Amino acid sequence: MSNKYIGQSVRRTEDKRYITGKGRYTDDIKLVGMTHASFVRSPYAHARVISIDLSAAQNMPGVVAIFTGDDIKATGIVGVPTGWQVNFKNGDTMKEPPHPLLIATGSTSKHIGDPVAVVIAETYAAAVDASEAVEVEWEELDAVTDPFKAAQEGAALVHADAPGNLAFDWELGNPLSEVDEAIAQSAHVTSLEFVNQRMIPNAIEPRAYIGHYEEHIDKYTLYTSTQNPHLIRLLMCAFVLGLPEHKVRVLGPDVGGGFGSKIFHYTEEALVTWASKQINRPIKWTETRSEAFMLDAHGRDHVTKAEMGFDADGNVQALRIKTYANLGAYLSTFAPAVPTYLHGTLLQGLYTTPKIHIDLCGMFTHTVAVDAYRGAGRPEATYLLERLMDLAALEMGKDPVQLRKQNFIPAFNGVSEPGYQTQVALQYDSGNYQGVLDRGVEMLGYENFRQMQREAAQNGKLLGVGFSTYVEACGIAPSAVVGALGARAGLYESAQVRVQPTGKVSVYSGSHSHGQGHETTFAQVVADKLGIPMEDVDIIHGDSDAVAFGMGTYGSRSLAVGGSAIVKSIEKVLEKGAKIAAHKLECAEGDLEYAEGKWTVKGTDQSVSFGDVALTAYVPHVYPQGLEPGLDFSSFYDPANFTYPFGCHIAVVEVDTETGKVTLKRFIAVDDVGNVVNPMIVDGQIHGGLAQGIGQALLEGAIYDENGQLINGSYMDYAMPRADDLPMFELDRQETPCPHNPLGVKGAGEAGCIGSTPAVVNAVIDALWSGGHPVKDIRMPLTPERVWRAMQS
Amino acid sequence: MDLTGSHILNADTNRIWAMLMDTDTLARIVPGITRLEKTAENEYKAVAEIKMGPVSGSFSGGLTLQDIREGEGYTLHVKQSSKIGNADATIRIDLKPTDEGHTELVFDGGAKLSGLLARTGNRVMSGVAHTLTKQFFNNFEQEIETV
Repeated sequence: MSNKYIGQSVRRTEDKRYITGKGRYTDDIKLVGMTHASFVRSPYAHARVISIDLSAAQNMPGVVAIFTGDDIKATGIVGVPTGWQVNFKNGDTMKEPPHPLLIATGSTSKHIGDPVAVVIAETYAAAVDASEAVEVEWEELDAVTDPFKAAQEGAALVHADAPGNLAFDWELGNPLSEVDEAIAQSAHVTSLEFVNQRMIPNAIEPRAYIGHYEEHIDKYTLYTSTQNPHLIRLLMCAFVLGLPEHKVRVLGPDVGGGFGSKIFHYTEEALVTWASKQINRPIKWTETRSEAFMLDAHGRDHVTKAEMGFDADGNVQALRIKTYANLGAYLSTFAPAVPTYLHGTLLQGLYTTPKIHIDLCGMFTHTVAVDAYRGAGRPEATYLLERLMDLAALEMGKDPVQLRKQNFIPAFNGVSEPGYQTQVALQYDSGNYQGVLDRGVEMLGYENFRQMQREAAQNGKLLGVGFSTYVEACGIAPSAVVGALGARAGLYESAQVRVQPTGKVSVYSGSHSHGQGHETTFAQVVADKLGIPMEDVDIIHGDSDAVAFGMGTYGSRSLAVGGSAIVKSIEKVLEKGAKIAAHKLECAEGDLEYAEGKWTVKGTDQSVSFGDVALTAYVPHVYPQGLEPGLDFSSFYDPANFTYPFGCHIAVVEVDTETGKVTLKRFIAVDDVGNVVNPMIVDGQIHGGLAQGIGQALLEGAIYDENGQLINGSYMDYAMPRADDLPMFELDRQETPCPHNPLGVKGAGEAGCIGSTPAVVNAVIDALWSGGHPVKDIRMPLTPERVWRAMQS
Repeated sequence: MDLTGSHILNADTNRIWAMLMDTDTLARIVPGITRLEKTAENEYKAVAEIKMGPVSGSFSGGLTLQDIREGEGYTLHVKQSSKIGNADATIRIDLKPTDEGHTELVFDGGAKLSGLLARTGNRVMSGVAHTLTKQFFNNFEQEIETV
């Protein structure tokens, strides 16, 4: 073990290919004989397919084949599955209607863009032209898009066998009667009805797939822009197409972002794979940006009523929540888990709240699926808690910093002090919440700010500060825990460390990068653990034939789970290496120590290098008796617990009293993501997360009209955050190691997106209160119009 | 999308009414129309080419006149489909005589859009509608002048 790389801001090795345009994405791949697909999609959110007329399209130039929902139905392929089961309160299994690859005649489309047919042609242009010539006769039906409205009597029904549009109802926490009683006895109750709006993920690379069946070897290859090649293979083979897994290779080349939206198994992946065998040629499909807006699983979309009860001193006594969570028309891969086990379980927050109850309805609507989007459930939990906390401080005339501190769970390291058992199932690993808040407040210059705020108010200017402290559950996840919670898969990670005869190291990781910098961070860990140069390490990922298995990249899990699997394999390498070294040095293994890339007989200058040992392992002429040649180990790492990063985000805003425009003046983020391997990469992750979280607060949000049409499905209409919407971020870190994984890391991918949104909204509310507008809530995004209206109310 | 407005035309109500009920005239003055055929009493088949910013496509579908109030107005129901989405509009048209042989044409209704048409360039859609309306009335005025 050396400390040459870990903790250093090593420049990302993958960036050379990215910034020189040499990245190789799925759409860059061209195969001999490759055809192109274009889908015929429903223009309506809810409509019955009366008939499909292919006659004009079939005769168009370049058309190779057209498949409809009727063709798929005839094969017996039911559709894509969901990977998580949540049960009704009464124990019944959730409603899980099929999600067909294409809509058959007589069936109904359930969201705009639901496909009825796929046209495969020699060129992309020919495929598009012919798909436009497919005549579909539709019978338009009523649609419902809002999860609360979907629950009302008389709402249009999405699935005949899901009455009331309910996929499941679910509860967690202390018995409701106890929470009701605690709320009733509270000296002050802060209540808030709000919407956590629907977000569109907007990965820079749209989804792209190539299905390639090769008859001569009877094998399929799927190239896919995915966050987890192995999971896609498992779901597609075992649950959709019924293919033997060893006959299917899934490759995830360079992937241009996902933010969750590329975790899931999409119908188009299965369809190009299946159709490739039908025509015996490769088929490529790359979605248009318009399709990406419409079809990539969306995020958030909760309608909530939350109440927090306090005693006369401001101590939180109880939290009661009723939420309607939009799941969309079909249950996507992780969809049932997001509002439940990734959201309800985080409602303890950083507070000692003794009584908590959440009642949640998972709703079907005529919209595209809602699933994990950066943070997945945890931003919704943080938004709820932190809005309540700042609002309660305003209502009770208390200081929001002090109110938090008096309710914080005291610091615990998870080693000499036990983890913290919450009221909502989880046990936090380690935390020091006051530490991050104190640091944030110090960076803000709090007292000075309040002085400035008062002066500004006197001069007719509205300044506000918003606080947000968060804890999240990352490193997803311990298989036994998630299994008990309804996951249909384990969530471990695999890694193989193959030492080559020359002492160079190839690492095969099941954790697939879609831009996070795995190739750099993992190589830093390997190089230091082995005491070799980083240049001697290569990280291989994204190939189901090369890598043993993988559960993918999401839930800030890559380093905590995937990195730990690598460490396990390195330990095995060093253990075997020590046997070989001891043989070469004619000593006992116990007399050796390993440092700086060599085994040394303790107290002597007798040593043998890592490279020498590696060569000996492959050229075992003089070798320990009974020991196998080679130096190549695989491991599976299943974490003992989630990891629990936490932090404090502070926003300072100015609100224009004339126009309602919010200007974000400062943004402070103090995050504790455990030990840090590459500070620059962590900063980058935080920056990106902050931009998305601030985007939700001020700019973004999917809008469906009353007919279920997505009316802001383009960059002309959907407001993404831009550089000039954001201040220079002020970042700092605290490092509280994770006590249960070998690297002590917790995960940083989602933190920025989890803490930032409520900080910004709280700051605007604070600004408005300072100017004599005591509003409780403004719907996100906080557009000038909404803020202005709030000031007039 | 709301479609409301009014325009004062330089002809008396009887003449305007006659023009509004005449297929050939309508085909000339409605922007983008390339074909307009009468298929039944008060029912037409229409084909239109619209090219404006993000809205560019070939539309076809039906046009129905309902609630016909002789000389006073009718309700126009337009159902057009295209590869960039469908439009379904209901517009009530009222003719009101003003002084000196002028007629005020008041329209009030809305359009339901779907597909790419609904999804893309929503902010500019009302601008597109406004431009088309303006063109319609310009054409109408020219028609009044020339015929």
